[in-house]
Amino acid sequence: MSARAAILARLRNAQRTGRVPVGPRRPEPVFETPPESGSETPLSRLLIELTGLGVEHHVEPTPDDVCARVAALVGTRPVLSWDGDRLPYGVGRVLAGAATGRSPRDSQASMEIGVTGCHAAIAETGSLVVLSGKGMPRAASLLPQVHVCVVRSGDVYSTMGEFFTKRALDIAGAACCTFITGPSRTADIELTLTLGVHGPGCVVVVVGP
Amino acid sequence: MAPSADFSKRVEDALANAGLRAALDRATDQLGSRRVVALATLSDSDATRDAARAARLDAIAHLPEYLERFEAQLVANGARVHWAETPEQANRIIADIGRATAARLAVKSKSMVSEETHLNDALERQGIEVVETDLGEYIVQLRHDRPSHIIAPIIHLTRQDIGRVMEQRLSVAYSDDAQTLAAYARTKLRQAFLRADMGISGANFGVVETGAICLVTNEGNGRMVTTMPRVHVVLMGIEKLVATMADLDRCLKVLARSATGQKITVYTTLVRAPRAAGDLDGPEELHVVLLDNGRSGILAGDTAEILACIRCGACLNACPVYRTIGGHAYGDTYPGPVGAVLTPGLRGLREWSDLPHASSLCGACRDVCPVRLDIPRMLLSLRHSVSSHARPRSLGPAMKLFAWIATRPSMYGRAAAVARWWLQRRARSGWIRSLPGLAGGWTQSRDLKAPPGASFQELWRARQHERARPRGNEDAA
Repeated sequence: MSARAAILARLRNAQRTGRVPVGPRRPEPVFETPPESGSETPLSRLLIELTGLGVEHHVEPTPDDVCARVAALVGTRPVLSWDGDRLPYGVGRVLAGAATGRSPRDSQASMEIGVTGCHAAIAETGSLVVLSGKGMPRAASLLPQVHVCVVRSGDVYSTMGEFFTKRALDIAGAACCTFITGPSRTADIELTLTLGVHGPGCVVVVVGP
Repeated sequence: MAPSADFSKRVEDALANAGLRAALDRATDQLGSRRVVALATLSDSDATRDAARAARLDAIAHLPEYLERFEAQLVANGARVHWAETPEQANRIIADIGRATAARLAVKSKSMVSEETHLNDALERQGIEVVETDLGEYIVQLRHDRPSHIIAPIIHLTRQDIGRVMEQRLSVAYSDDAQTLAAYARTKLRQAFLRADMGISGANFGVVETGAICLVTNEGNGRMVTTMPRVHVVLMGIEKLVATMADLDRCLKVLARSATGQKITVYTTLVRAPRAAGDLDGPEELHVVLLDNGRSGILAGDTAEILACIRCGACLNACPVYRTIGGHAYGDTYPGPVGAVLTPGLRGLREWSDLPHASSLCGACRDVCPVRLDIPRMLLSLRHSVSSHARPRSLGPAMKLFAWIATRPSMYGRAAAVARWWLQRRARSGWIRSLPGLAGGWTQSRDLKAPPGASFQELWRARQHERARPRGNEDAA
């Protein structure tokens, strides 16, 4: 008998003993989070959470302002970015000469700043959601020490549950979906908070119109 | 030697280690209070825990059906699925994948299941170098040590311990600054990530409806391991399923809050498939190894509920026994209250019969559990199994004899007088240091106070006799 058949047979036998307690009924998912203040919107909550996580953030009124902000953040440092046609607000035009997912691995790894868009942001937790896909290398939000993420204000969801429900098709179309919530951190050494262990030690969010 | 035989020894060693106990106090206090603060950010944390419990119990109740659907979904997504009954089978499957892909260096993110199978040793024997990439696990590997907490593997080490091992093994300048030590690890491990052929991870959850593997890490090593190497192998226990993405959401709401006091872990990665056409990175091959190793046996027994555990470690921080003796004393992969139930289930109750007794049954573990596992009930059930199997043969007739004597007052009085006389003869300065035979168990770790000269019955009779005298009735007694 194969391992598969043997395991499944044992599990079916075990089910007959009926020793698994019956759980409570699962409530329907709730997409609203308890507001921190009366006039809260998903975007205002997102910004509160980002502040709590130590994530610098900028809200810009026009696409040109977004581009100017990204250009100022990047300065003259070497950049690894998503392809220009994948970045919102035409941000790619201020990133001429940036390394992309097609650059050699070592060259990608030596870049100081990663610039990406994102597919969603989650207000409740301050998370940025990136899906893998054409022109959107995972390395750009992972290898550089600084990650600059451009968020469209229309992509802000209240909760992870809301995102799972409303964007189920997008998630099912991507090989990998990652929620990024603040800078890389560890507390393994005497519970001392240390940033930037493997992923970026610094995350900056630019929210556009 | 049977592991249980070492248990008292391991506990004694832990108790003698003052540094360990100070570290445990500090760490478990901090983790415990962070958890309380994090749960308070939920509008109704009890209802949220109920929902997570429901999600996990549903998966455990439908395990064979869900595993078949999970497998079908994974295959449809382009992943390859392997089944292993034993640690040896799992290790062989992964070594074979390594050989087929000519892998020489594997990077690994934290996986408790791989500790269970001793995967690193098995791969090294096949000539595949394995590098642990979780900072704590990396230091454990450098020290040839073992993790002592589910989520804080080097809770037992000081900054100085870590500085010394890095100085020795990595040829770097000694430091006891956490930031510097983390930077040493980043530099060293970055090279491994870029060179590795194979990434090995565990799974925090497998989602049946989408075939997604959910991995959470704070450092980002989980993302590295699932992004940089050509091949990604997931080694997971068969119990780690949730039915839907909504159920995953229910579990993630309580996991990080209970573990580290964060609302959500820094990186929550859902790996569904190998890299798609047009993707510029991500693994070309995705393998999922489903390991039983005793779990199907647990499902059939009284402790089936323990399979719903989401490995947050909250019960360790709350447990007065874990807080005193630390993780190593438990002797196997899973320490603390969850380990006291899980280890006998996975490894056999006969050899691990001490663990269910390593609890005061105070219920703190049940109170903090994000999926409300009734661990004290399961510990009692295991103790019952131990005592019904391991009770000495002579105990049955002995108890019958005791019952016969104890139900006859005059017989009981006479027997007690004999016992008292016998015990008094053994006493030195009012204390008895050891007893022979079965009774020896009692004096193994404590002394017995010598009994008084007379029993209550004797004293009472004497007192009545005394009170009767002044009334002049000499015959009253």
